[in-house]
Amino acid sequence: MDESIQTVWNEAQTRANEAYHAQRRRITVDPITRLEGHGKIDIFLNEQGEVERAYFQVPELRGFEVFSLGRPAEDMPQITSRICGVCPTAHHMASTKALDDLYRVEPPSPAKKIRELVYNTFMLEDHALHVYVLGGPDFIVGPDAPPEMRNVLGVIQTVGVDIGKRVITTRRRLREFIAYLGGKVVHPVLGLPGGVAKGIAPEDLPQFQQLAKDALEFALFTLQVFKDVVLKNPAYMDLITSDTYTHRTYYMGLVDEKNRVNFYDGKIRVVSPEGSEYAKFAAQAYLDYIAEHVEPWSYVKFCYLKGVGWKGFTDGRESGIYSVAPLARLNASDGMATPEAQKAYEEFFNAFGQKPVHHTLANHWARVIEMVYAAERINELINDPEITSTNLRVIPTTSPTVGIGVVEAPRGTLFHHYETDEDGILRKVNLIVATQNNSARMAMSVEKAAKGLIHGGEVSEGLLNKVEMAFRAYDPCHACATHSLPGQMPLVLSVYNAQGEVIHQQKR
Amino acid sequence: MNEQNGRTLVLALGNDLLGDDGVGLEAARQIAGRVDGSVDVVQTGEAGLALLELMEGYARALLIDSVVTGRYPPGTVLEFQPEDFRRVVAPSPHYAGLPEVMEMARRLQVVFPQEIRILAMEVLNPYEFGIGFSEPVRTSLPRLVQRALQILDEWQNPGSQPDQHRQDSPASQPS
Repeated sequence: MDESIQTVWNEAQTRANEAYHAQRRRITVDPITRLEGHGKIDIFLNEQGEVERAYFQVPELRGFEVFSLGRPAEDMPQITSRICGVCPTAHHMASTKALDDLYRVEPPSPAKKIRELVYNTFMLEDHALHVYVLGGPDFIVGPDAPPEMRNVLGVIQTVGVDIGKRVITTRRRLREFIAYLGGKVVHPVLGLPGGVAKGIAPEDLPQFQQLAKDALEFALFTLQVFKDVVLKNPAYMDLITSDTYTHRTYYMGLVDEKNRVNFYDGKIRVVSPEGSEYAKFAAQAYLDYIAEHVEPWSYVKFCYLKGVGWKGFTDGRESGIYSVAPLARLNASDGMATPEAQKAYEEFFNAFGQKPVHHTLANHWARVIEMVYAAERINELINDPEITSTNLRVIPTTSPTVGIGVVEAPRGTLFHHYETDEDGILRKVNLIVATQNNSARMAMSVEKAAKGLIHGGEVSEGLLNKVEMAFRAYDPCHACATHSLPGQMPLVLSVYNAQGEVIHQQKR
Repeated sequence: MNEQNGRTLVLALGNDLLGDDGVGLEAARQIAGRVDGSVDVVQTGEAGLALLELMEGYARALLIDSVVTGRYPPGTVLEFQPEDFRRVVAPSPHYAGLPEVMEMARRLQVVFPQEIRILAMEVLNPYEFGIGFSEPVRTSLPRLVQRALQILDEWQNPGSQPDQHRQDSPASQPS
């Protein structure tokens, strides 16, 4: 063969082979089923078919800060609660607390109790949704079950129709209670700077006391289901404790004055990978402790501990990556403030024989323990003599400047930070949402899971599901929760070279 | 709720802080003033499992939503039947998709609408905060409202009107 023809032939052959292998090596899991928002995972394999890098990306909602500027700060509890249809109550409460701080006003004790009551009701309802509908399919049905079973219908089939009905009914009653105090569940109007808009009428109390009892029974029942189905199955425990789903990071959560978990109020406590207290601070100091790292391949900013520093996607004491959400809250605390939850807390740490627990999948168990706490706290509050008080508000009188509020959202610590002029018109808005605190660890989880579970280019559906399990345990919420219409998700496919540059892009 | 209430539900889904995403909600506001007492018009930012609670008890339901398929010009009014979603293996990421919700209702013996129709407008940008619609969506809004009213009218007076709008409402087949 003529040498020049041979060269052209070989070049063409090489290109064709490269294209074929590039095609074969790329595995994209999309859409991520049961995640609130659209996302995609890009997994890059090397020549040997091993995972080189895995990227987890989500389309972010844009422009919220700009949208808010120039508006009166007191509109924020309503506006922020509409950021997404998933955790409106969390945004509403963080925003209301930011307004307390902005106007330097302390709500009366009954108002705080009403807020905490509503908030725990929301936490219980939202956690129940995750346990049974979002994350439950991985555990209750089983990680190796066929895809058509790994959904809420599979859960119903596993636990039975009666339990399914109970889940639906309990959730509805909890939501009706939130609506009684806060108006619409999706757009709550409860919180005002210095208090709340509505209290509980004494004649309505008995029905809510009954609801609280039923809710606790439901939470304890869920704990039992979890123990029966998951913890008695050695294969699940092996999966939970496997190295694939383990990261030794810092943990963050709100705690009360005795370092016990609190969703509504307290100080932010951070513990090291070894479990010692690294920091404890008021919400107002968050910028002294938290910084954000930007990566070229993601819209998401990766939070890390300023004092430790950003060392890349790596764990250990020297890396500033931390985690929030149920497991992190349990790790960052010294216990639970209610008896049944405390029992479950002790059982949890005894089972693993360590604290902190570094296994991402233990989030599911931690979430069930938090359901018990939320239900017990609801009972305490609804039976509190002050709960029907009409002393619900202190009217603010100071000029506003800066307000920072924090709550524990179901998915972790949520910060709202507003700065205004003297008329209360917003000049600066900064939100750190729960998922953002977890974004670095979540990226690590996806990559580690992919690396541990895909070898030699061999990928089965079950394996891919286990990769997805790595981040579903965090219950990530990316706020794009309004497009309910099932159908094809918009997808942008991007290929990056070693320098992090986009070398190929496809849309469908 | 254990009994069917014989009523019709218009359920609009969306977020009016996200520009075009609120088109269903605006349509609902316009529809609300033009229907009789047997129709409830509800707006919500929720999805998934909440649909079960919102739709429970109704005889018929018309869902109005926005959608980005990327396959039709923005402003196109798409029309779906629930069956259109049956083939979707990985349904909506929002807790549970409509097929799952319907199947749940059946298995849990929840009283659920026997007839469900879905109208969705193809929109331009539902990812950026802002109030107001893009030009194609604003222009097409009256058609969305009109089509919704026509469906409601057909339900009230079965057989009285031919289904004229079908031809300019491409029924998308999600794949």
